[in-house]
Amino acid sequence: MHWQPPSVAPILTMIYFINYLLNNGVPQETIILILMLPIIATIIAFSRQIIGIKTFGIYTPLIITFVFLAIDIRYGIIVFITVLLAGSLVRIILKRFRFLYLPRMAILVIIVALIILLMFGEAAYSQRTEFIGTSIFPILIMIILVEKFISAQIEKGARTAILLTIETLIIAIICYIVVRLEFLRSFVLAKPGWVIAGSIVANILLGKWTGLRLFEFIRFKDVIKYVELPEKK
Amino acid sequence: MWNFLKKSKGFLGINERNIKYISPFNSKRAINIADSKILTKKILKKAGLPIAETYYILHNRKELKNFSWRNLPKSFVLKPNRGLGGEGIIVLYGKRKNQECWIKADKTPLTVNDLNNHILAILDGDFSIINIPDAAIFEERIKIHPIFKPYSHKGIPDIRIIVFNNIPVMAQLRLPTPESGGTANLHRGGIGVGIDMANGITTHAVHRDRLINTIPGSKLSFRGIKIPNWRELLQLAVEVQKATGLGFVGVDIAIDREKGPLILETNARPGLSIQIANIAPLGERLKRVIGLKTKNTPHAVRISRELFGGEIEEEIEEISGKKVIGIREKIKIFGPNEKQYETIAKIDTGAYRTSLCYSVAEKLNLNKIIKKKSVRSALGNEERDIVNLKFSLDNLLIDTEAFLARRENMKHDIIIGRKDIKKYLVDAAKNVRLK
Repeated sequence: MHWQPPSVAPILTMIYFINYLLNNGVPQETIILILMLPIIATIIAFSRQIIGIKTFGIYTPLIITFVFLAIDIRYGIIVFITVLLAGSLVRIILKRFRFLYLPRMAILVIIVALIILLMFGEAAYSQRTEFIGTSIFPILIMIILVEKFISAQIEKGARTAILLTIETLIIAIICYIVVRLEFLRSFVLAKPGWVIAGSIVANILLGKWTGLRLFEFIRFKDVIKYVELPEKK
Repeated sequence: MWNFLKKSKGFLGINERNIKYISPFNSKRAINIADSKILTKKILKKAGLPIAETYYILHNRKELKNFSWRNLPKSFVLKPNRGLGGEGIIVLYGKRKNQECWIKADKTPLTVNDLNNHILAILDGDFSIINIPDAAIFEERIKIHPIFKPYSHKGIPDIRIIVFNNIPVMAQLRLPTPESGGTANLHRGGIGVGIDMANGITTHAVHRDRLINTIPGSKLSFRGIKIPNWRELLQLAVEVQKATGLGFVGVDIAIDREKGPLILETNARPGLSIQIANIAPLGERLKRVIGLKTKNTPHAVRISRELFGGEIEEEIEEISGKKVIGIREKIKIFGPNEKQYETIAKIDTGAYRTSLCYSVAEKLNLNKIIKKKSVRSALGNEERDIVNLKFSLDNLLIDTEAFLARRENMKHDIIIGRKDIKKYLVDAAKNVRLK
């Protein structure tokens, strides 16, 4: 029998806990996804602090990744874009009537719901069974996104909102690809403690990082060229 | 590549700004005050600093209902208290006679009903940071200073001064454009123009993070605008920092035609494109003033001007009493009957007399030859025509006698000789590429 001393660092004992969960009927997919959370969160933090990709916070790209996992990514992106386009269009139409904020958002949500219903209709007509079988939660999440997107449009202007959305989408797709990596899936199950400890360490380092972001290098590149280095004495 | 990385070190990025400057030096309380225009104004007023006059403040729907529109003056500005990046601001320039109807900058009329709707949106938090309910402010409309008029589109330019440790470290002039809709915010398409800290003269301009030379669609250069009341502005910025308790702050000041400098707002998270407009790294400047002790405001301003002033030309001009010109200068030649011709002249200290091209002389009817003189040149002896010539160089009128020469194939229509530049000093490195 394999015996490991229980005094080894707690990060190693995590594995027993995971096994305990598996043996008691918690689905493996659920555990993998939960253990992927620290990795996705770290990717999002990394792309903000080191690269400079701005997303709607950390929660939004994370949840979109999960939506993509729940419904096929192709449908996910199509639904995402349709819903956002519809939302923006409705906002532009509603703008001239000068409604108050919440009723305006309510009208928006109603119309988005209608459009999603129509999309289901289309899917039923052309027999897209994977899409028809989608549960309500990914769809609800899409509606949350519409609110975020539209309020960003109102507050920060269309340009910023569109950029934010595109960047959020890109990050979500990257995270989706990462989560689907086979070797990573078996790694998180085999070394759950390392995943969590590693993510925490990575984020502590990221949290103290004061260097220029990649996008800032690009933004300042012309100016940096003009600057003269102070002469050494 | 390695050099590029080394050079980039002095530039301040968002990460460094947040970790090293905002979170240690700007307290939660101070940031909260800076985010509210009402609180900021209250504090500045108490400190005796100049601000735009507030007419009315509406905190809730009840106050709006009971508001008597008749009391509003002909022109005013309507702002949300916690607005972000200039959103939700309306400027009313005039009022229709005997009618409750005001006119916006683009001449569209706004009725009481329109204003009412806009105020409702403000109160509801449409423009505030996280859609929290907000207050609406009616404020005096600042009148543009004539010096900025040619550069600014339907709005008031302002001057952003970044102050750290009581010392102004960097400044830029922010100009509204058609794209930015009357506000001077850079991320909405306004133009930022860097300012030399020593003398308040503008240097480079940035639009959407790109360096530009002239106003888009025109030939008007952004270089060399002299900001009026420069020293006063720097002192005000320092005083604002002392009053608000923000250790790292961007102070926005507008200049009213009649009242002079007025503080618009303070910014606890100033943007970073100011580094592009100044072609200078902010991080390096901040490091230079960290821990420096200043005796009082004028002392702090003196330090700032000494540390961060780029061009010392003005000082030389002050000492010698002579203006500094470059080797190429824009001049204006005046003909008899009020004809004018603008060109770029080459300053040639090797020649005694100024020489003008025949083609220009003909255009301006400057063909009255007063005498001839023979000159010895590399090509042998030559008889040259001399005419009377009047031109202006760097705002001084020069009345002289000049040679006429065949210069059609030369780069410059005119070269200016020693005889006519006795009032100037020539800097051989200046304006080498002037166009």
